Order: sequence, then structure tokens, then C-alpha cells
Amino acid sequence: MNWNILLQQIVNGISLGGVYALMAVGFGLIFNVLKFSNFSHGGVVTLTAYIGFFLSKYLVANFMVTFLVTAAAGGMAAVVIERLVFRPIRRKGYPISMLIVNSITVAMLVQQFFAVTLGSDYYTYPNFIKETALHLGNLTVSKIYLLMLGISAVVLGALTYVIQKTKIGIAIRAASSDISTPSLMGVNVDFVISVAFFFSGVLGGITGYLLGMTFTVDPFIGSMILKGIIASIIGGMGSILGGVIAGLLLGAAESLLIAEIGAALTPMVIYGSIILLLLVRPQGIAGKITEVKA
Amino acid sequence: MFYLKVLEITSLYTILVLGVYLMTGLTGLFSLGQGGFVSIGAYTAAIAYLRFGVPFPLALALAVIMGALLGFLVGIPTLRLRRDYFLLVTFGLGEMVRAGLLYLAQLTGGALGMAGMPKKVGLPLILASIVVITFITYSLKRSRFGRDCIAIRDDELAASMMGINVYAHKMKVFIISSAITAYGGALYAFNILFIEPNLFNWLESAKLIIITFVGGLNSIAGVIAASAIYYSFGEFFRFIDVWRDVLLAVVVVLVIIFRPGGLFQGLTLLPSKLKRKGR
Amino acid sequence: MEILKVEGISKRFGGVVAVESFSMLQQENQISGIIGPNGAGKTTVFNLITGAASVDHGRILFMDREITRLPPHRRTDLGIARTFQNIRLFGNLTVLDNMKVAHDMKVRYTLWEEMLRLPRVRRQEREIDDKARHFLSYLGLESYVGQKPQNLSYGIQRRLELARTLMTEPRILLLDEPAAGLNPHEVRALMDTIRKIQEENSLTIVIVEHHMELIMNICSLVHVLDFGKKIAEGKPEAIKKNEQVLQAYLGEEV
Repeated sequence: MNWNILLQQIVNGISLGGVYALMAVGFGLIFNVLKFSNFSHGGVVTLTAYIGFFLSKYLVANFMVTFLVTAAAGGMAAVVIERLVFRPIRRKGYPISMLIVNSITVAMLVQQFFAVTLGSDYYTYPNFIKETALHLGNLTVSKIYLLMLGISAVVLGALTYVIQKTKIGIAIRAASSDISTPSLMGVNVDFVISVAFFFSGVLGGITGYLLGMTFTVDPFIGSMILKGIIASIIGGMGSILGGVIAGLLLGAAESLLIAEIGAALTPMVIYGSIILLLLVRPQGIAGKITEVKA
Repeated sequence: MFYLKVLEITSLYTILVLGVYLMTGLTGLFSLGQGGFVSIGAYTAAIAYLRFGVPFPLALALAVIMGALLGFLVGIPTLRLRRDYFLLVTFGLGEMVRAGLLYLAQLTGGALGMAGMPKKVGLPLILASIVVITFITYSLKRSRFGRDCIAIRDDELAASMMGINVYAHKMKVFIISSAITAYGGALYAFNILFIEPNLFNWLESAKLIIITFVGGLNSIAGVIAASAIYYSFGEFFRFIDVWRDVLLAVVVVLVIIFRPGGLFQGLTLLPSKLKRKGR
Repeated sequence: MEILKVEGISKRFGGVVAVESFSMLQQENQISGIIGPNGAGKTTVFNLITGAASVDHGRILFMDREITRLPPHRRTDLGIARTFQNIRLFGNLTVLDNMKVAHDMKVRYTLWEEMLRLPRVRRQEREIDDKARHFLSYLGLESYVGQKPQNLSYGIQRRLELARTLMTEPRILLLDEPAAGLNPHEVRALMDTIRKIQEENSLTIVIVEHHMELIMNICSLVHVLDFGKKIAEGKPEAIKKNEQVLQAYLGEEV
């Protein structure tokens, strides 16, 4: 058993896991506040992957700038989506299934739009970093992976701070328990929801950028959201910390599995485990079971 | 000749939509993995016929049985899950089927797919199938089965308080839906004559759900109409075929917001005058 | 006979004790009431009896049969019916269908017969149809047959919920705040309706309520809950004067 290779796999996996964690949290944020699975998050990821590409290729080659603009674009896209697609449904009091259907539709729209307009070409981000690998002892760590991990950590740390300490963060948490509490705090509920979507979209934008940087950009890049959703489920839909841990675990596990049993069987093992987990502990690692009010 | 083809393809997909209608439209079970059942049905029939020399009618029957059996097995652990989790788990299962088909390349031809099926399925069989399936769906919807489906969709807790065994009922729905879907897949294999693992991914499964919503959750005729329009549209307007999905997406979003009963919500299979009293 | 025996049931939700060691004996054909301040655990008791929630400790016996671990739909089949605090009618079904759903567990045709729409199915459907219409007119609701619940007034919806329970062929009715949201005139009509239903159908009824006039007028036995525990039990007149009960309600609008 070559420990070095094993460790190498884990390290690689963890950096990707950081991105999964970002997706898990972005997804989980909306799930907490509006209580539905927002598949349009995948659409935001795809959209921002393309935006990031075009920005860095044709406008500005500076990493920091393109990164921040892309993140902001993600935030705005999410807010627009909320306004156009979800708010009317909420206003009219339709059942949650309608929200789910519309979110799937938006994801489909984004994917097909890019498939139609830009589909056949491959797009790769320009290389920002000169030397691609860093050597730590016996391990070779790709600088890009390190960057991803670093960014993920910083962003999630910042988000945690905002959620815990700022007024709007508290309002979001309050809305998660009961959607009407922000109004008791003197804060407009629609505003809180828009902010939650903005945060979620920023996370999505960062995800899109990082994924686009690591892999090639194509219309299906948003399907990676599935990994984020899985991480969200494992970690317990409600919990940020759970999502982070689960994301990292998933990344590491996936990396190990692919190395050991190949890319074909890995999905089966992962999905199989999820199903088992859900049967045994439906609330995930850190989530809570909510009973239906009679 | 061209119109015949269009009718065939449209009808094939409509069978799939009807399968999803029972699950999603009536009962509120969202599955992004129905593509897996299409593939299972298609491959079961194709493999049975080509590799094991099973006569065609039996191959079709095997596909249906496989679909039902798989529905049962998948349903056991998943039907107790809440709606979001069920959606995601079925998504994963669809992917698992895809991965499995790719992996078992000796049996299935792997990524190259399978061909060589003779064209055993023509328009008469397809149309007859639609008529039968529509009849069954309609009969179920009118009586206890349908009522209980809608009750479960509206309020599971209240439904169980009315004496409905929610889990058992969902299982019946899922098995029937899966059987219909697998049947559609088998027909597809022997009509289009080429199948491959990526044929029916989550996107296609999503479209089935979306079309159900556009057509109207409480209207079988509406769902058939929406399906017919969508799938024939693509054939007639090949040059903007690619934009078809974007257009569909926009239409769906608008329909859900402004006409949530579905585009064709008032459409009924039988005009009210022909119906018995009490409806 | 003692149709319902609840023996020391308890339930926690997370860290909160909702109900603790609650017991009651319910006689057949009797109307009892459960009262208590908001949050005292009254609805939880109903949830535990009907199976919407499972007990942590204790036993429940219905007609001398242990039902503690039985799933909700089986308990309904045995004859336990309930209405809800927040009306839970099926919005996408007509009034008539709402009624029929409640009888579906008693239906005697199979799935295959149903798919083929055999004469047996059609005949039983006609019978269910007649039965549903019968109970609708029993409570004066026959004119709403084809409507959807959201188009009905609140008072009518409440009556429909009541009518629906009768379709389950119940032995015992659990009514959860049936008077909530009704004006005084409607409350009085409700009291008459409850009495009528009880007498003409030989039913046993347990009511959770805040509305004291209703409780005092039609219940022969009253249980009082506070913070999940029973603090008193007795005839309405005695409860009215009970020190502890009055204390529990101090500061509460009655």
C-alpha cells in the first residue's frame, strides 16, 4: 500500500471537495430559507463559468478582477432568477412542487442555451499561474488545487461570519426557522430572501469560476451541482458546517475510489452509499429531523 | 412517409410522458431517473432478442416485467423519503443505470450502443399501446386509485388519516409507472433501432416532468396534447429544433406562474355530457 | 365499555417535553373534552392517539386492542377518525371526492379490476357516490358537491371536515378545535351538530378546544393539560371551580 499515492489522492480530492462544499452551502442556503431544492443553482454555475471565461480571455487577464466580477455576476443572476421565476410563485402561494419544477426548468434553459449558442467549442481558461505544481515533501500539489482550497476556505469563513454576526445574517437564520420572523425583526422578508439568493449566487459564481478554471467549460458543467447536492444531503440539508465536512469527505472519497476502482464504478458506490445513509439516518450528519405539524 | 415517422416518434415519447404522468402529475412523485427505466426496458428487450434469441413478444413482456421489478426494488428504500430526497436519489439511480450500462460492455455494447434490432414496432402497435395505456390511466384516475393519488399529492398526512396506506399506494404507482416507462423503452429500441447508455439522461427525464406540468396535472388529454406538440414541433421545425428546449423552458416558467393548472387544464378526454352523473 | 384507554403516554420533540405521562379512559358514547392553555400539548395528544406521532413511552388501547405501534392508516381503519386544527381538506379534489377518499380503505375491488374498469368497479363506485352524497346532505352540504374546498366559506369547510370523518365508518371522533374561527351563531350550530352526530351514530367523541362554552355545554368529562401534564380531570362544573385550572389560565384569554 503506497501511502504517498494514497495521500496524494486525498489531497487532490480535498481541494475538489472544497468546491463541492461551496456548492453544498450555496444549495443549502436556499433550502434552509425557502425549503425547496433549487436546481437553478446549477444554471448559475454554468452561466458564471462562461462569464468568467469570456472576461478573462477577452477583457482582463487579471485573476483577482475576473474572479470578483464573476462572483458578483453570479449573485446578481441568482437575484434576477428569484425575482422573475420564484417570487411570483411564492406570492401566489403555490405548492413547493412548482418551485422545484421551475428551478429544474431554469437549469435546463441555461444548459440548452449554451449548448445551442456555444456548444460545440471547448473553452479553457487562460493560465494565471506560472508554475503549476508545488512540492511538499513527497507530495506534489497542484497550485490550482491549493488556490481552490484556499479560496473556498476564505469564502466559507466570510460567509459564516456574516451569517453569525451581521443583522442580515441573523435575519436569514431567523427566516430559516420560520419565514415570517424577519418581519418581526423589522426586516422585509422579500429583502432577506433576495439577499439569501445573492449569497447563494455569489457562491455559485465562485464555483463556476473555479470549476471552469479546473476543467474545460461546457454547457454541462452545471451538472456538477449534483455533487454539491449530495454533499448537502450527507451533511444534513440545514447545516453549513455539515455541508462543508460532507463536501470535503465526498471529494476525498471520490478521488480515492476513482484511483482504486475506476471512474465507471465510482458513481455506483457513491450513490449506493448515499441511499444507505438516507435509509439509516435521513437527516444526514448534522441535520435535524423536522416533524410535520398536524 | 415523413409524417409517419413524426407520428411514431411523438407517440413513443407520449407513452413515456403518460408513465410519468401517473407518478408525477397525479401523485406528486418527482423522479429525475425515469431515463434509467427507459434504458432498462430498451436494453432488456434488445438483449433478450439479440443475444438470447427470445421471440419479440416475449422480449417486450420481459422488458415490462423488468421495469416493474426494478420499480419495486428501487421503491422499497426510497418511497419513504421526503420529496426532495426522492428526487435526488432517483437522479442518482438514473446515473447508476447509465454507468452500469457503460460498464457491462460485453452485454450491452458499452458506449458504442446496440444496434441490429429489426423494426418490429410500427405505428399500429405504438398507437394501440397509447390507446390501452390511456385507457388504463383514465380508469385509474376516475376511481379510488386516482383519488388517493391526488389526496397523497395534496396532503400526505391527511391522506394517511383518511385510512390510505401512503407507502403501499406510492409503491403501486411507482411500479405501474416504471412498467409503462420500460415498455416505452422497449418499443423505442425496436422502432428507432439504435440505443446507447446516454440516450435518456436526467435532462430528458426532466423534460417528461416539465411537459406533464405544462399539459396540466389534472388533465390526461392536456398532457397528451402538450407532449404531442412538443415532440412533433422538434421534427417539423428542425432548423430551430435546437431552440426548442429554450422555448419550452420559457413557456413552462410562464405557464407555471400564470396558468398553474396547465396550458390545457380544462381539456377532458370525454365531454361532460358523456360522463355519468356524479363526476 | 372503555373504548379508548390511554396509559401514561409521553412525547419529546428534541429537548422539549410536549406530553408527559398522560392517561385517560374514554367511555363509549361519551363526549369528553381536553382543555389547557396554548402549547399545553393537546394537539400532540391527538397526534399520538391517531399515530401521526409515535409515543416515547406508554400504551394506547382501542377497543381493548393495543394500537401503540400501529401506523395511522390502520388506526383509521379500526375506527379512529379526526379533524385538524388547520383544516386539511384536499384542495385539488371536489367536495364529493374529498368525501369518497375517506371511504376508500373499505373498497373491495382490486387494482386489476380497476384498470379494466369492470362492472364490479362501476357498481362499487356508484355505492360510494351514494354514500358520500348521503353524508353531505346529512350535514346540509349537498349543494357544494362539485366545488373545490378553497371556494367554500370557513364554516362550510369545517362542516365538510366533519362530514368527511363520517365516511370512515368511525367509532370515535377526535375533533381538534372545531370551533376555531367560528362566530357565536356558528358555534351554537356546531354544538347541535356534534350532539346530533353523537346520538344518531352512537359515536364517542373527544374534543380539544379553547372555546369554554362549547366544552361546558356538551362534554360530560373534561381533562385539563398544562405544560404537557394533566393537572385536573372531572365534570365541567367541577373543573370550572378548580384552583389549579384557574391558575393555569391566569393571563390567558379564555
